Parts: sequence; C-alpha cells; structure tokens
Amino acid sequence: MMEALIQLKIKRQDSPDSKPYWEEFTLEHKPSANIISCLQDVARNPVNRSNQTVPPVVWESNCLEEVCGSCTMVINGRVRQACTALVDQLQQPIVLEPMSKFPLIRDLQVDRSRMFENLKKVQAWIHIDGTHEIGVGPTIPEKQRDKSYVLSECMTCGCCLEACPQFTLTNNFMGAATFSQVRLFNMHPTGAMEKEERLEAVMGEGGIAHCGNAQVCVEVCPKNIPLTESIAEIGRQTFLQLLKNLFLK
Amino acid sequence: MGKFTKGQIEYFLLKLHSLTGLVPIGAFLILHLSLNALRTVGVLPYQLSIDALNNLPFLIWIEVSVIYIPLLFHSIMGFYVFTIAKSNVFKYSYPRNWMYTLQRVTGGVVFVFLVYHVGTTVAPKLWFGHHLFDAAPFLIDVMNDTFTTWTGRTIYLIGILSATFHFANGLWGFCISWGIVIGPQAQRNAGYAFMLFGLVLSVMGIATVVEFSLHPVSVQPTFGGTS
Amino acid sequence: MAKRTKRFIVIGGGLAGLAVTMKLCEAKAEVLLVSYQAVKRSHSVCAQGGINAAIDTKGEGDSPEIHFYDTVKGGDFLAHQPPVRDMCFQAPAIIHLMDRLGVPFNRTPEGHLEFRRFGGTLYSRTAFSGATTGQQLLYALDEQVRKHEHDGLVTKMEWHEYLGAVLDADGVCRGAVLHDLRTGAIFSEGGDAVVLATGGPSQVYGKTTGSTVCNGAAAMSAYLQGAKYANGEFIQIHPTAIPGQDKLRLMSESARGEGGRIWVPRQAGDPRDPLTIPEGERYYFLEENHPLFGNLVPRDVASREIHDVVYNQKLGVGGKSMVYLDLTHHTEEYLEDRLGGILDIYQKFTGDDPKKVPMKIFPAVHYSMGGIWTDYEDDGHGLIDHKSPRNQMTSIPGLYAAGEADYQYHGANRLGANSLLSCIYTGLMMGPGLINYSKNLTRHYEDIPTTVFSQARLNWEGRFQAIKKMKGKENPHQLHQELGEVLLAHVMIVRENSKLEKAIIQISDIETRFSDIQCLDTSDWANPEPSFVNQLHLMIHLAKIIAKGALVRNEFRGAHYKPEFDLKQPPKFDPHEFVDYLEQQQYGETDESAFPPDHQAYMKRFEENNKRWLKTTIAQIKNNQPEISYESVNTSLVTPRPRKYD
Repeated sequence: MMEALIQLKIKRQDSPDSKPYWEEFTLEHKPSANIISCLQDVARNPVNRSNQTVPPVVWESNCLEEVCGSCTMVINGRVRQACTALVDQLQQPIVLEPMSKFPLIRDLQVDRSRMFENLKKVQAWIHIDGTHEIGVGPTIPEKQRDKSYVLSECMTCGCCLEACPQFTLTNNFMGAATFSQVRLFNMHPTGAMEKEERLEAVMGEGGIAHCGNAQVCVEVCPKNIPLTESIAEIGRQTFLQLLKNLFLK
Repeated sequence: MGKFTKGQIEYFLLKLHSLTGLVPIGAFLILHLSLNALRTVGVLPYQLSIDALNNLPFLIWIEVSVIYIPLLFHSIMGFYVFTIAKSNVFKYSYPRNWMYTLQRVTGGVVFVFLVYHVGTTVAPKLWFGHHLFDAAPFLIDVMNDTFTTWTGRTIYLIGILSATFHFANGLWGFCISWGIVIGPQAQRNAGYAFMLFGLVLSVMGIATVVEFSLHPVSVQPTFGGTS
Repeated sequence: MAKRTKRFIVIGGGLAGLAVTMKLCEAKAEVLLVSYQAVKRSHSVCAQGGINAAIDTKGEGDSPEIHFYDTVKGGDFLAHQPPVRDMCFQAPAIIHLMDRLGVPFNRTPEGHLEFRRFGGTLYSRTAFSGATTGQQLLYALDEQVRKHEHDGLVTKMEWHEYLGAVLDADGVCRGAVLHDLRTGAIFSEGGDAVVLATGGPSQVYGKTTGSTVCNGAAAMSAYLQGAKYANGEFIQIHPTAIPGQDKLRLMSESARGEGGRIWVPRQAGDPRDPLTIPEGERYYFLEENHPLFGNLVPRDVASREIHDVVYNQKLGVGGKSMVYLDLTHHTEEYLEDRLGGILDIYQKFTGDDPKKVPMKIFPAVHYSMGGIWTDYEDDGHGLIDHKSPRNQMTSIPGLYAAGEADYQYHGANRLGANSLLSCIYTGLMMGPGLINYSKNLTRHYEDIPTTVFSQARLNWEGRFQAIKKMKGKENPHQLHQELGEVLLAHVMIVRENSKLEKAIIQISDIETRFSDIQCLDTSDWANPEPSFVNQLHLMIHLAKIIAKGALVRNEFRGAHYKPEFDLKQPPKFDPHEFVDYLEQQQYGETDESAFPPDHQAYMKRFEENNKRWLKTTIAQIKNNQPEISYESVNTSLVTPRPRKYD
C-alpha cells in the first residue's frame, strides 16, 4: 500500500563511546523513493518528529547503484544496501540501524577496515613481474572466467559478515567474503602460484575452521555470490594442504 | 616442532573437534544405538551384547581412549566454539541458520544428558568394584527403573534425539568443511541424505525406549554371577 | 649518504589514482594515497560497458591508428592529438596488463580476450568483463595497491579529504592540506608532487549518473589556487537514464537495440495508465522525426529530441521530465532471454517490471570531457615522451592531474568505453615523468620552511572554523539541489544564450545565498557537514565555469549544442569532400565548381568556425569570476573535418 508519509526510525550514536538513541523522522512520500533519498531528504530538512532541528544523519554512500558496497546498513532488521531498499517495499516505520559487527563511527556509519585487512592476510592479489609490457596474459577458458567473475563481483560490503553468527565485533573470524576471495585468486593460473600461502593464512587465526555452516552469508549476499560453495571449496583445499603438511613435508 | 602459531594450533584443534565428532564418537553412537536396539528383538540378545562389550580385554583403556577422552575433547572444544559465536536465528530465520543454532543447543543438551547417563550407568562401576560387578543385570534394572516414569522417558527421548540430530547435522557440516560436498546442489542433496540417516538412528533409539517402557524385564547374570 | 626516498601524494583511489600509485611504487617511491572512503568503493566501479583497445583479434583490420582517428573525430577534433594517439597506441598493452592482473575479461571459445562493438566505431574493440568492467578493473588495481600497502610503500589515508595544495614562495606545489573526516583534524603533508586523480564533477548538476563523491571539489580547489581549468562546458549526456529520487541510473542502450520504443502521450499531462493509451494517442517522436533510424538514432540526437519534447513541447509523462521507453510489445519470455539482466536493474530500483509496464527514462549528465588543464610533451613523432615531467602537470608546478579530473583525451565528446582507458592510461603513463620530476628537483619538500606547511594548514583551519560558525537560514543540501536544477534547466542538452545568461544570474544568486548558509552540524567527530559546505562553495565556482564557458562559446561542437550556431550540414554532404577541398586549397587549385554550391558554402562556414572556435577553453579565477581565454589545439596529425551522423 502506498503511504502518504514515510516514518523513519533511526538508531543514532554521536561517537563510538557515546550512548545510542533512537530518533524518528516523518517524510513526505515520493515515487520510487529509497532509503538514500529519505536520508537526503532528512539532510535537506533535519527536523525530527518532535519538531526539533537536529544534525543530519551520518551515513556512508557512493555509487547508489549497488556496486560500491558503501551504503550497507541494517534495514528493518536485515542487512542490505540502502540504495536498493525501496520505501514502497518496506514495512513502516522503517527502522534503520548501523551494522553491528563493525566498530561504529557515527550514526549509520561503521568502520569496515577489518575486511580489507583480511584481504592483506590472505594475499588477495596476483603477483606480477612488473607493469611493463611483457605480452599477453594467460589463456583462460570462458567457463572458468565465468566462475571467477561471479566471485570477483564481491564489493566488500560486509552483508555476509553482519549476518554470520560466527563473526562478531570482538573475535577475529575472517568470514565468507575473505574465503571466497581466496578461492578466486587460487583459481587464476597466475594467482595459483601463491595458493599455498593463501591456504596457510586461512588455516590460521580466525580462519576457515571457524565457519559453522549457518549459511546465512549466501542468503544475504546482494550479489548472489555462491559463498557456501567457496567455503566448501576452500575446506577441500585446506584439507589437502593439511595432508600435504602432515605427510609430504 | 614448537614453531606452530596460535592460529595453526587453533585450526588443528578445530579440525580435530570436527573429526572426533565423526570418529570415534559418531561411530560409537551408531554402535551404541544399534546394539541397544537389540532390546527390541528380545532381552537376551541385548544382554549378550552388553556382556560382549563388558568382557572386552583392556576395556577401561578402550573406554578412556576411544570414548571419554574424545568426548571430553569434543565437548570442551564445543563449548569454545559455542562461546565465540552468537546465534542470530531470530533475525535471520533461514532453515540452515536454525540447524546451525540447533547444532549448538543439542550439543549442550547432549553434554548434560551424558553426564546424567554416564553417572547412572557407568559410574556405579567405580564403587561396586569391578570384580563384583556384572553389568547386564545392573544396567537393565537401571533402565527398567528409568523408563517406568515419564520423566525418565522424556529425558532419554530428548537425549537420544539431540544426539542423533547433532550427529546427522554434524556429518553434513563435516562434509562441507572438509570439502567433500561442494556445489550448492550437492550440499542440498547431502542435507537430505543425512536427514534420512538421522531419522533412522532416531527410530532405533525411540524404538528401544518404547520397548523398555512397555516390557520391563529383569535378567540374571549370564554366567550366574561369577565372573 | 642514504638514497633519498621519493614521496608522492595521490588524491583519489579510482582507476587513475590507483594506476599511478602502482606505477610509482614499482619505482620504489612512497605514496600517500588519500580518498574520501575505502578506495575500493571509488566511482570507477560504476562503468559497465568496457574498455577500448585496437587489438584486432577478429581480423577486422582495426589498428591503434584507427582507434586514434575515431577518438579525435568523436571528440569533434577538440583534443590535442599526440596524447590521444599515444593513449590509443598504449591501449593494447594496458588491456594485456589488466588481464595479467586477473581482470575476468570475457573470453572467446579459444580462451583469448573477447571484444565487442561499441558506439562511434565500426570495429570490435571493446574488451569487457560482464556488465561491470569498471568494477573489475578497479578491483585489480586495488589489489595491486593493497600489495604495495602490505609491503610498506603505500600509506592509505582513507576517510580523508584533500583541501588544497601547499604552495611555496615560488608557487611550486610541495604537499597537500588534508582533512581527517573522522577526527576532523586538518594537517599538511609534504610530497615531491601531488596528483589529483579525483574524478569528474557531476555532483554540480545534482542528480546525475555520477557517484556522491564526484563533486569536482579538488579540481576547483586547484582552480582557486590559480590552476587553469579547461573545456568545462563540455558535458556528456546519456539519453536513457532511470530517474530516481537520489540519482539517475543508466539504462543500457541495448534496450533500444532490442526494439524499445520511445514515446509520450500526445496530450500534455495525460493522467491515464500508459497501457490504456491507444496507439493513435501516442507520440513516437523519434520514429516520426527520424524515419530511417527511428529509436536507434545516436545518443546526442536522442537526448536532444527528448529534451525538446519535454521542455519545449511540454509533453513529458505526467507533466514531469520523463518519457516512456516501451518494451511491452515483446513477450515476457523474449525480454527475459534478451535483456534479463538490465531489466532486473530497472525493477530493482523502481519496483516496476519493465516487462509489464513501459519504463520511464530521461537523459542524464554522465561525464565531463573538461577538467583541470594538464600539459604533455610530444616526442616529435606523434606520440608522447613518457619520461617528461611535463606530462599531466597542471599549470601549477608539482601539481598533476589524471583521469576524468583532467581534460586531455576526449575533446568535445567522449567515445563510449574510452573513459576507463584514459583513466588507466594517464595513471600509468605519468609515472616515469613524476619520478623524473622528483629527480630533477633541486629543493625537496623537506627543504621548504615548515612555516609554509603550517600556514597552509592554518588557512584551512580558519576556513573550517568560519564555516562552522555559519548560522544563516539556507540549508546547504537544499541549495545544492537548487544549483543542480539551474544547470539542468539551462546548461544541459540544448544551450541558448538567453538561458545561459539567466543561469549565470541564478548561479550568482545562489552564491549570494551561500553566505547565508547554516552549517547543520558543528561537532568535531565524523561530521560531514562543514566539508559539504566547502564542497558546495567549490561546486558554485564550477557551475560558473561551465555556464560561462557555454555562454561564450558560440558554436555547436560535440556535446555543446547551440542550435543558433548550428552550421547546418547539407543532407548529402560527404566529409571527404572537405578533405578534397582542403587539398585543393593547399595546392592553390581552388575549383569552385568541384562541389555543389551549398556544400561549398557549408565548408567555408566550417573552416571559418574552426578558425574561431577550434580552441581549448581555459578558465582562470579572476576577481572571484572565471576569466575565459582560448588556447590552440594540436591538430598536427589528422585534419579536422565535419562529422556526419549516420
């Protein structure tokens, strides 16, 4: 049903060490409004339901077309991107909360550096001899390319981690996104040359063994990345690596 | 040696946790439930199976190394795994997340049940003195007593069903984390297969409980009390 | 003596910023990489189509030379030719490098790179990676830079904002003033050179296909410090975008390729459900006005027609700025098979199923061909001397620009799939020049008095304190929206001098109202409001540059369409006639009868127009206003000639 007004209920917090509080806003309904446009409207007229002028809500956004991963937040209890959250498809009042598994910066903004640090731990890159001209890249079957492409669409948004019961604010679990990247790079002909180093990394602290197979990651992934398949594949690769470490070294 | 990092040790222990769930604990569960199910065939085969087990040479060593140590290790690691995570099944109510949560809950339930079960069936051995103790009549009496009340029956039903769920679902998880089944379709199929497997184990357990409850029969020591 | 480590500051973590960072690290230099947010979230991810390189894997006879010709022709000859030619010659190596970095480019059955055709060329020249080529390219560079970060050469300052360059007494750039967007701290950093790889300025138009960080602020800050800004009025419009409350998202041209029909109700403001409007009451304006090409007219023509129908004929759907792009005459199965992916995007963002109801679309601001003026040094053979420190340097020594932030590669109009190329190309190409610039320096930033750095910091601290004290009536976000509306209404697809004059007055009004702004949040921690106010101030300057540049340039070139000055190409004119005409002139054999009289007259008009207007627009700040001047364009390689659209 089309509502004439939009009711927003936002969990706000001024700084990492201050207390969170709820603030409500009433906005005029506009066609094809999404959560981003609502927050923009709040910024244009930052007056809450009690008619007090307040500082505009702080949140993170960039591309607004679900390829950058910035505007991830918890909307009506579910983690997703604010840009694809259409108001007409949401139950009101719409409740916005910051992601709970990452250190809070302010309001709906969190710090997802942990995800990028994990990419360093697993060497999520391809070692090259240099950027100078040394001819064509490796020949790759289209079928394999197709598989890599799906994994390579991961925008480090953090949905899979926010929804993962094994991933918490205080532990060191790497999570589905990282394992999927390990699989991506191990799959590439050149990337496979550092396969062992990557596997050793996920066989360490916070690694693959912590996965509890709750499989929520794959349900909430906005890019439909086969994360549970990646986890099983890395499970196999690490198991074989373990055998190699135990019996062949 | 001695060069292992904390992370590597943790990985190894978690893998061992996963493995001990399958062998020996899972294997023992299958054995235990199937031998107990002999009770539904008749009390004698059941009694003979108890005798056979209790007369194994080096029994205590087998029990300690194949059951108690792995079980204790699996439990301790289980509690560790339990404490580092936080279920969110009410927020993200997907079937697999329910299974995940139940896996942890049933793990706890089985642990408590086992304390009770071992306490009432095995521990008495310690104060009877092994040479004076004949397992079968004692155990069958304990069971007969337990299953006269609904409390006892309920405790056992919960214990058995938790154990079979924990094992069957654990097997499914094992297949994924060790990379035995990989694709989404394969994972789904494995899920159904293990569900069926769990169902078979559960039926065996339930049937045994029902048999004990309906037909309590006491027995005499097989070898006339002289061992 | 220990060898001095070179240190550079790169602002912006899109394709250009990451490419130059990678290149500098390879030369063992240290890089401070500054970005509003995690570099992996930069606007480059939005590019869908692909990246051009004339590798000619299909035996079509394509070559970098033809790529070069297509590019300068597409840009209506307004681009300097040696840099463009160099870019096109480097393109194959760039694709192979990106391929080696792991970009999952689509493959042929044999496992080689696949190429497809794109607008503005006859060759299959566009390598692509699914529908997210930009994202894939960016990730590959992000990964390489992360490796250098891991190895200690790169220090990332994400969640930081570039405020301005630190200029020494000689006006040489010695570093940058940065703003920590979390703590609010403002500080100076020294470097051998500063690279602005800060992307396009589309936010000045409000709602566009650009990302929220594409505000052109860094470029404008450089402009306010004296840097030249070039070709600002050349803004590319994409004809089919999905109107949204927050932004405009591209609807791929393939929707029209698959038979999509563009129409509006004949009756203005018709409130009926589009499906109930009978055929006779629908105005298929592209099909009526262009019987031959119908809905598949080139992008600029389509944009102009839609603009005309909505603004002049006032026939926009429901009285609003949109027209229908209708696919509902096809079966759902057909559409799912042919256009599934892109129709999902429409549904995802509008909630409507384009298989059941006509899509509502409107042209949107997409790309700025203009940008910070940058230099180049040609090698005398029609290419660039890659070792020269002049390459990509702005008019401020030591301050460089790359990517969409610079102006050099697209002339008056950008060819599809050339933007990703120009970003990576500039980033990679400028690396050796930057290293040489650092080598050639007689004094380094360490030798500059610290007061230079502290003064720069103090200036910006003062500026931000003043912003925080602004307690007027105007809401900065509201004002930003209004600024965008002014530009969208008057400095868009069709440009008329009377409207441009009006726009300049309205921008000036907004500038006046700006001084009555209220800074909505004065706290220190993670407060984006003061930054936004500063950015808005810079966007107002950019609006003035665009509007004034457009007003002064009395011609029709590329994306800058002024109907009043359209040279009216005769319908049967062949551009080769002009080449013959020039040849005759050169040999003094002018034969008036060789060409039809109207062609002859047109070619004369064309020649005269080029003499007057084939020039780079340069804007420089003077008395708070852009002062417009013109510089000649290097057309030494291909003779500029009329473009023909068929």
